Amino acid sequence: MTLAIPHQQRLPLAIAALGFLFLGLFLLYPLFNVFGASLLDSEGEKFTFANYLKVLGRPFYRGAIVNTLTIGVAATVTTTLMSVPFAFALARLPVPGKAAILALAAMPLVLPSFVSAYAIVLLLGRAGIVTQWLNSWGIGFGSIYGAGGIVLVYTLTLYPYVLLPTMAGFKAVDVSVEEAAQSLGSSPRRTLWTVTLPIVLPSILAGGLLVFIETLENFGVPFVLAEDMPIFAVEAFKLFIGETAPNPSSAGVLGVLLILTTAAVLLVQRRYLSSRRFATGARAAPPVLQVGPVLRIAAAVYCWTVVLLALVPFFAIVVLSFMEFRGPVLHANFSLENFAILFDRSTRPLLNTLLFATAAAVAVTLVGVPIAYVVTRLRGALATVLDVVATLPFAVAGTVLAIGFVVSFNSGWLILTGGPLIMVLAYTVRKVPFAVRSSSAILHQIDSSLEEASVSLGRSPLQTFGRILVPLMLGGILSGFVLTWVTVASELSATVVLYSGQWRTLTVVMFQALESGGGGVATAAASTLIVVTLLPIALLYRLVRRYELS
Amino acid sequence: MSGIVIEGAVRSFGTVRAVDGVNLTVGDGEFFTLLGPSGCGKTTLLRMIAGFCELDAGEIRFGARRIDKLPAHTRDIGMVFQNYAVFPNLTVAGNVAYGLKARRVAEADLARRVDEALALVQLAGYGERWPHQLSGGQLQRVAIARALVIRPQVLLFDEPLSNLDARLRVSMRAEIRELQKSLGITAIYVTHDQEEAMSVSDRIALMQSGKLEQVGAPSEIYRNPATRFAAEFMGTTNLLEARALGRDGAGKVSLRPEALRLDAEAPAGWPRIGGTVAQVEILGPITRFDVRLADGSLLKVAALDEPHRTLATGAAVMLAYDPARLTMLP
Repeated sequence: MTLAIPHQQRLPLAIAALGFLFLGLFLLYPLFNVFGASLLDSEGEKFTFANYLKVLGRPFYRGAIVNTLTIGVAATVTTTLMSVPFAFALARLPVPGKAAILALAAMPLVLPSFVSAYAIVLLLGRAGIVTQWLNSWGIGFGSIYGAGGIVLVYTLTLYPYVLLPTMAGFKAVDVSVEEAAQSLGSSPRRTLWTVTLPIVLPSILAGGLLVFIETLENFGVPFVLAEDMPIFAVEAFKLFIGETAPNPSSAGVLGVLLILTTAAVLLVQRRYLSSRRFATGARAAPPVLQVGPVLRIAAAVYCWTVVLLALVPFFAIVVLSFMEFRGPVLHANFSLENFAILFDRSTRPLLNTLLFATAAAVAVTLVGVPIAYVVTRLRGALATVLDVVATLPFAVAGTVLAIGFVVSFNSGWLILTGGPLIMVLAYTVRKVPFAVRSSSAILHQIDSSLEEASVSLGRSPLQTFGRILVPLMLGGILSGFVLTWVTVASELSATVVLYSGQWRTLTVVMFQALESGGGGVATAAASTLIVVTLLPIALLYRLVRRYELS
Repeated sequence: MSGIVIEGAVRSFGTVRAVDGVNLTVGDGEFFTLLGPSGCGKTTLLRMIAGFCELDAGEIRFGARRIDKLPAHTRDIGMVFQNYAVFPNLTVAGNVAYGLKARRVAEADLARRVDEALALVQLAGYGERWPHQLSGGQLQRVAIARALVIRPQVLLFDEPLSNLDARLRVSMRAEIRELQKSLGITAIYVTHDQEEAMSVSDRIALMQSGKLEQVGAPSEIYRNPATRFAAEFMGTTNLLEARALGRDGAGKVSLRPEALRLDAEAPAGWPRIGGTVAQVEILGPITRFDVRLADGSLLKVAALDEPHRTLATGAAVMLAYDPARLTMLP
């Protein structure tokens, strides 16, 4: 008696089973343990709600919740206000150097945001260069520590999340809809407000919610800039490190609250967007509008200012890393001294970063691409559940997942803590949603008759996957690989929880240098990280360019 | 191998019975067409044979061998798809060699067979080209060569010509028929185009709502449609109450437009029927005109072009029809 599984579904089902096994063990099980930790007493024995009452009863943690949400909303609003006109200008106005702007605008997505935050401190902080220079002229300004600085850094580093989908939205508007409005007597300005913007609104909101979720989860930026202001992800980390009892119940509570908040936001987004999908079926991008010289110059200045301003902190860090730090004060003696100190101590952090990023990118590809195949090719409830589970890491802050990992894998049958594998696994789980998204986008464009043709010619579904689908997806797989590599290299929130001893990464070195006030090493590590991030991106660009030319 | 036998094939999607108890026998070397409107189940039936669609009930045999439980890649079938499905990451030769490599054909033999197959579809010398350099018609030739070269037991065609322009469709269908006959491979062909089906097929199975409406040679279905649906789907016809032609019985009759002639042009023995000309279309080789009968119904008439014939809208005419070409419908 064989199982009555249709033969053309055996491969997808086998992959789905493996996918559930992996995500079950390394995502659902750790998260379950975080929930468990929050509901058990500090010895991990008795079931109790006391932890929730204890944490929520303290004004400090209630403040953390309020602060985090307030900063998130504020950053989402500023990001949106900055990006929507930017997107409109790129999509519809004559702006010089659009290709260059787009390439530069995508860079904050891959550069580590806490590096930007640190640069802001070095420039505008108490002992900052710009601050001191302004002080010498008798000009003062408010503190950049706290909410204001955090919102500033979020705005500068997260704006591409709104810019890119909104620009795509503006380009997808069928111009005949606008023409119809104008033929009915609507002025161009009124048309923009009553027709174009409402059509683009879902794209704007989708981008805005991404920003909001990123701010909820971000650990590095508030760690650098919040000082004594309590922020969710940072406090969860501090509680976890500080809890000496066997069961990290308080950290568990904050973790659960963080997960529930992001999950709620994602649910609201799904509900809203599912009912508002305006497919206008534009055949060609709408034409660039003819505008007067004033508006044209204003648009160009605006776009270039935003895109360059966002990159100034990174540029500044690279410059500052060649300068001499005496305590917090900078001196303009340019040398390689900082890098010498950084690498004299050990080159292991750099090597670890390269190793982990490569291992995680390989693992993410091996896990994500097959899952994308199942999600696109196997319709039905099982595929939907797998899709949801594979998207779940997106709603889980790195700190929380890492706490779950420590709770789950520091005893029992599978002990991973203290080694490098636990870090690679955490990175892999965190980045799987991106691989699944990008791969399934390509797979949707590959007609399934290609697979059927291959099967009818005598190749099994598995051989067909390797010989037809993988070659066709190669471009997307490669860029997904590089993106994973780059974002893992600058990962901080899970890393600070999971690293141990010799397995420190560049981000940990920077984190530790910040804690101990070692500005020289921190900037050297930061600019090394920037180079490490940008190099593969540049290589990918070249590769794609060459591929397109041939 | 002795043809294909389908017994009691059933497949439902949700509440829809896409294939609803189909029994068919296709002879060895026969060119057999599944014809019907979209949604009639013809493509589902073809995909059942190919192995891309499970049967809820029933079975499919190639000769004595039952194949409906076999994985698709072991069924030894050549399939040609509507959108060609030529692998864009392989050259033309790579596409044609794909199935041979899966069968581990020796290298020397492989190159020769690829060249032969390409010559067969008039693409000799195109082996090194890439799919994106070819036209739609050439792509479909590659797809056909790729399906033929593995010498399959059965060739399946899923609306292979519907993405081509009208002129190419006509020449390609003749080519496909010629190839199939010269190679003697059993072929099952799916189309919604009645004229295409009639031109290529040995036999046609007309399908509607997952069931077989009528199976037979093209001329037989055209001349003796078993149902009203068959009569209407296989070309233009006049569906009339039998009484309107002065016949007995309560049922309807089908009368093809070309079975009607003007009184002066018809043999004396044919029954006559009078009316007024409602509309005239002179299309070149044939003239179509509608005649309104006394009871208000319209008769469509088609006649070869005749230089001395005059037909004016509103004029009274007397028509004659061939009683042998009148089909009683249930």
